[in-house]
Amino acid sequence: MVDENLLQDAVKKTVARKDVKYVVGYDKGTTGFQAAPTFAFEEKDADKFIFSPICVNNLAVYPILEDKPPLRRGEEPDSRKIGIVLKGCDSRAIVQIIQEKGLKREDVVIIGIPCTGVVDPKKLKNRFPGQIKSLEIKDENDNFIVTVDGKTQNISKDELMPDKCKECEYPTPIIYDILIGKEIKGLKKPNYKEIEELEKKSLDEKWKIWEKEFDRCIRCYACRNACPMCYCKECMVDILDPQWVRRSVNLSENTAWNMLRAFHLAGRCIGCGECERACPMDIPLMKLNKKITKDIQEMYDYKAGIDAEAKPLLAMFKPDDPEEFIL
Amino acid sequence: MMNSYILLKEDLPKFIKELIDKYKVFAPVDDNDVTLFKEIKNPKEMNLKYNNSKLPPKSLLFCQTETLFKFTPGTKGKIQSPGIDNGKKAVFGIRPCDAKSFSIIDPVFKEDFEDPFYLSKRENLLLVGLSCTNPYSNCFCTSFKDSPASSKYVDILLTDIGNKYFVEVNGDKGKQIVKSKLFKPAAKTDEDKKNEVEKKAKDQIIRYQKTDGIAEKLDKIFENHFWKEVADKCLRCGACTYLCPTCHCFDIQDEATMTDGARVRIWDTCMIPEYTLQASGYNPRPERMNRMRNRVYHKYNYYPKNLGVIACVGCGRCIDNCPVNIDIIDVVNRAGEVKP
Repeated sequence: MVDENLLQDAVKKTVARKDVKYVVGYDKGTTGFQAAPTFAFEEKDADKFIFSPICVNNLAVYPILEDKPPLRRGEEPDSRKIGIVLKGCDSRAIVQIIQEKGLKREDVVIIGIPCTGVVDPKKLKNRFPGQIKSLEIKDENDNFIVTVDGKTQNISKDELMPDKCKECEYPTPIIYDILIGKEIKGLKKPNYKEIEELEKKSLDEKWKIWEKEFDRCIRCYACRNACPMCYCKECMVDILDPQWVRRSVNLSENTAWNMLRAFHLAGRCIGCGECERACPMDIPLMKLNKKITKDIQEMYDYKAGIDAEAKPLLAMFKPDDPEEFIL
Repeated sequence: MMNSYILLKEDLPKFIKELIDKYKVFAPVDDNDVTLFKEIKNPKEMNLKYNNSKLPPKSLLFCQTETLFKFTPGTKGKIQSPGIDNGKKAVFGIRPCDAKSFSIIDPVFKEDFEDPFYLSKRENLLLVGLSCTNPYSNCFCTSFKDSPASSKYVDILLTDIGNKYFVEVNGDKGKQIVKSKLFKPAAKTDEDKKNEVEKKAKDQIIRYQKTDGIAEKLDKIFENHFWKEVADKCLRCGACTYLCPTCHCFDIQDEATMTDGARVRIWDTCMIPEYTLQASGYNPRPERMNRMRNRVYHKYNYYPKNLGVIACVGCGRCIDNCPVNIDIIDVVNRAGEVKP
């Protein structure tokens, strides 16, 4: 369990700094079963900060989401730092953005959370279908102690955790300025069983599976906007001239969108799963990302978001890079 | 009793088949894990254990993509007139809140300009409602003095009262439907049972949105810092608006290749910057707070002022699906308490 007093103290200390604009972290949300991103602009705001297994969101998205309206004449841009509460997986996004020069290390103050796993909101809803009026959830070794509407039960973590937690290699943030509690060693390894099953299918079977998924897409772009790695100034899907993807929502355009996004994340996706979580139509987007991650791992022995000093995969060239896939 | 009937549960498949004979029938169907209104050819395809569909049934009337006409580009181009869809359709299992949303968006497509695409579908649509007996934890239709078992906005309403449905009828379309021999007159005990089910469902709704005087209140807090507080966490995606049964904004685009093209109407969302981006490059709603405020004002201020009704039915979809927990009940309740 993360000591919330330590967390709140760290937030207070950080927001009190003259060179910090605000700190983004989690509050308990309005429904009880989904934590919400929250902001501290002054010390007293830190009291609402929490950390529990419902703190799912990857907050690394916020520094790049900030609105930057045009400056008035003589106005200086606000170059103060942003404080962010980050779990191990989330921190990889910041590392990758720094690697790509989307942010500078000194732009952010990272309050790191050594994380023992969060709850997948969709699994939680399926476990308690229909109604959750109140929820309290505690973390205890291999179990979550879940109290729903007054009834307490122990549920094995594997049952409620998203896949990314079950195979988490980096529970402690890769980079941080303040760590809340002690470092946790990553003992798990990625599991590509589901991807291998998918790979075994014929091209026709694969198309059928994905057609059924992409057909549901409503192009709300929640996947893109929840993704910390989707920070292009102008997304290719928004460009009108030339129009790469039409605005019509049909299988063809939806497929184009989802495939293009997956390819744009090649060598960049850090596996936080936010796209899949944010998708209101439950499209299993992480399967696409994971397939590409697996290929890259196998071919180039490269993993995104673990070394801020390294070069991005697509900016590297080695004479012995594999090229069997080149036609 | 006048205008109330019963339908035995064992007769439901027969009733659906009768509907399928006369209409294209749309009903809640599971598509992987998502419940959507889809066309069914057989009653077995339905899932009646749904709370509500992920996408509101507005998409049957106000399609996400509607082809307005087709054309061939160039100087000798030709325009091919649109085919207006006037086939008879029925929605089975629409919830009272979603049925109400149709009455809210009707004026948009009817008043200043008559939209043939929407209106033709609307006129040919039969609404067979199914009372909501197990509302979600974020449902709040009762905040608008409505009920999860209201028959007001449907042609007929079925309420599950055990081994049968209690059936209420509205208007001529509904009267035609209950002429089927499957419907038997209801007894007083059936009506009592329906009222009991309705009360139980209402009691299950625990959240409440305070909307008394909200339109006037919003007039006074347009410039308040509150809107920035609400919008700071917004990801500016379109999930809330696309899943909203009353959101009805659209964009129109010409989509063409060298040889053919079409003018299409697609859903638009006020939550993205492009919605208000002008050709000059100027954007009157540059920040997320401008756009968030617009969504709330459109529903709780402009709509009540122009059309006399709040453009929210309390279905809770935007709350359930917002990736960052922007909660319209909470936003409006807090707006009510903001000091002007």
